[in-house]
Amino acid sequence: MGDTAIKVEGVSKKFCRRLRQAMYYGSVDVGRGMMGLQADTGSLRPGEFWAVRDVSFELKKGETMGLIGPNGSGKSTLLRLLNGIYQPDAGRIEITGRVGALIAVGAGFHPLMTGRENIYLNCTILGMTRGEIDKRFDDIVGFADIGEFLDSPVKTYSSGMYVRLAFSCAIHVDPDILLIDEVLAVGDLAFSVKCVEKIKEFKGQGKTIILVTHDPGPVKRVCGRALLLEKGKVSLDGPSGAVVDSYMRSQTKPDGPGESQARRWGTGDIKITSATFLDEDGRPANGAVQGSPVTAVLEFEAKKKVDGPVFGMVFRDHKGEVMSIVNTRQSGPPLSVEGDGSIRLSVDAFNLTPGMYAVTVAVYDSDRLYPFDELRDICSFEVKDAGLDNHGLVYLPSRWELS
Amino acid sequence: MNDRFVVYEPNQRVKMGFIKGWREMAGNVAGSRELVWQLFKRDFFSNYKQSFLGIIWIFIAPVVAILSWVFLSAAGILKPGDVGVPYPVYVLLGGTIWGLFIGVFSTTARSLTDSGGMILQIKFPHEALVVKQMAQTVAAFVINLVLISAVLLVFSVAPSWKAVFFPLAVAPLLLVGAGLGMIVSVISAVAHDFEKAVTACLGFLMYLTPVIYSAKAEGGLIKAVVYLNPLAYLVGGARDLILYGGMESPYGYMASAGMAAAFFLFSWRLFFLSEHKVAERL
Repeated sequence: MGDTAIKVEGVSKKFCRRLRQAMYYGSVDVGRGMMGLQADTGSLRPGEFWAVRDVSFELKKGETMGLIGPNGSGKSTLLRLLNGIYQPDAGRIEITGRVGALIAVGAGFHPLMTGRENIYLNCTILGMTRGEIDKRFDDIVGFADIGEFLDSPVKTYSSGMYVRLAFSCAIHVDPDILLIDEVLAVGDLAFSVKCVEKIKEFKGQGKTIILVTHDPGPVKRVCGRALLLEKGKVSLDGPSGAVVDSYMRSQTKPDGPGESQARRWGTGDIKITSATFLDEDGRPANGAVQGSPVTAVLEFEAKKKVDGPVFGMVFRDHKGEVMSIVNTRQSGPPLSVEGDGSIRLSVDAFNLTPGMYAVTVAVYDSDRLYPFDELRDICSFEVKDAGLDNHGLVYLPSRWELS
Repeated sequence: MNDRFVVYEPNQRVKMGFIKGWREMAGNVAGSRELVWQLFKRDFFSNYKQSFLGIIWIFIAPVVAILSWVFLSAAGILKPGDVGVPYPVYVLLGGTIWGLFIGVFSTTARSLTDSGGMILQIKFPHEALVVKQMAQTVAAFVINLVLISAVLLVFSVAPSWKAVFFPLAVAPLLLVGAGLGMIVSVISAVAHDFEKAVTACLGFLMYLTPVIYSAKAEGGLIKAVVYLNPLAYLVGGARDLILYGGMESPYGYMASAGMAAAFFLFSWRLFFLSEHKVAERL
């Protein structure tokens, strides 16, 4: 035991792709189980595949690990194995401590029951005793922030309130080991900020956390270590920064920025209504000569007064790699905006190497945890060759002196 | 700190051994009392929440069924034989007792599939779902006893004092229903055919059991079938206890009750050994 919280040794789990075969294998396995025979778990039958294959790792108490990987790489399956929902087909999992899972919140909620009744129900399902629920009831209600709706059927809740209540129950189980699956994406963005804070608090209390997500941002910020799963196997295990970077590199798509479709998301408290590049004469342009000054104007409307928004612009190369991010935080004091307005960006010398770049514009909250508005790859920007004979990613304005 | 320490391995429950397995099975049920109560509250009361008649619906289905049997018998189509008490009383009792068996079976058979979402998200002893489903049917049954008392009163049939043992007398039927339901719940999570097949068979089985007719009804074939059918002793025994204050064949009843208990334990064991496969088939 010692200070190990989770020990996973050569764990594998297989599934079947086709329904009919799955029914057949399932019947055989259930039949064998009923007869007290051990199911044949070590090898694949026709049509089966390994969802998780020979995964091993050890997590010390108080460690925070991110589990990342593309869709279908086995993240959720591994999480369910750790939670004891699936039984491994091979290997062994040892867990020391009470496990709490934020896998999909709100299990067992009944729409016709009141918030109060559902808190008792959901928390009991999550393994809390009645005494524990009584003790934490006020905290749960407070965190969920549902106010006078506590005694109304949850059917009448907005979806945001519903998720907040469910999440609040889940997070108050007070486990030693917390398994979190993509929950940072639930609820409204303000609430997800609250959740990030709560997770940091858990971290501060020395709890062991596994965070599963395909959004590597939080992994880098919250976790010290990351595990990259690909096709069910661990392809990388190490410090989160290095693992996330490697994952990002493998994920960028090869299609050029010109064809990339615009994607937009955010709370909408501030909306970017236009983004225009201007040449030296103040005329709209879609490119510039390397090393020359570049100006861009972002027009926006803010529905309400917002303090400390961060405007920014991201340049990605043809592989999707981020070449540079410029934002208002880097230069100058915090802003405060309200109503319509525009903000001008001036780059003294645009030194990226000649080529095409995809431009993303965004405005984030002051902690850059969630966007008010983000327009991904809205346009492309061409850097023209200035005859600087520059190879590499950026041109560094420089002088040489011979002595 | 007394940290919990758990291990997950392939074929864990099969390898666990007999005694340890039973200890865990009992622990699963004992440890989930609060969970059963919360789930019961959710499903039993909320079933009737968004409805004007509410809990009265528990009475309506059996009353309609019984009226149809009474109609058939009054029209002379059905010859139930000499039952010794007014036929509506007889069929109401038989129907309610049989309804307990069918009700427990059909609710427990759905215990895993109905809660699929929960099973996939949270780790908890799944026996709790079975117990909750049983409790729901038993609660409806208890409420139906009110209806039975009212009907006994209307037809001025005085039950024997031995009727106080009635809850005990129907217990074996509960065990058979739950046992069958548990097996079906696991198998039907994998392939849905099984539940449909068993449900169809049980519909036929009712006619092979003296529910709507007397065990003393004429016809050699019926007599032979009823003689060999353990359910006939369980249904008949429980009904006789109320109506006549004794059982026609106490030994037949006791043998059947023993079989019912054994079957229940056997099914529970099968459930325990195989239900972990259900999560990945949902």
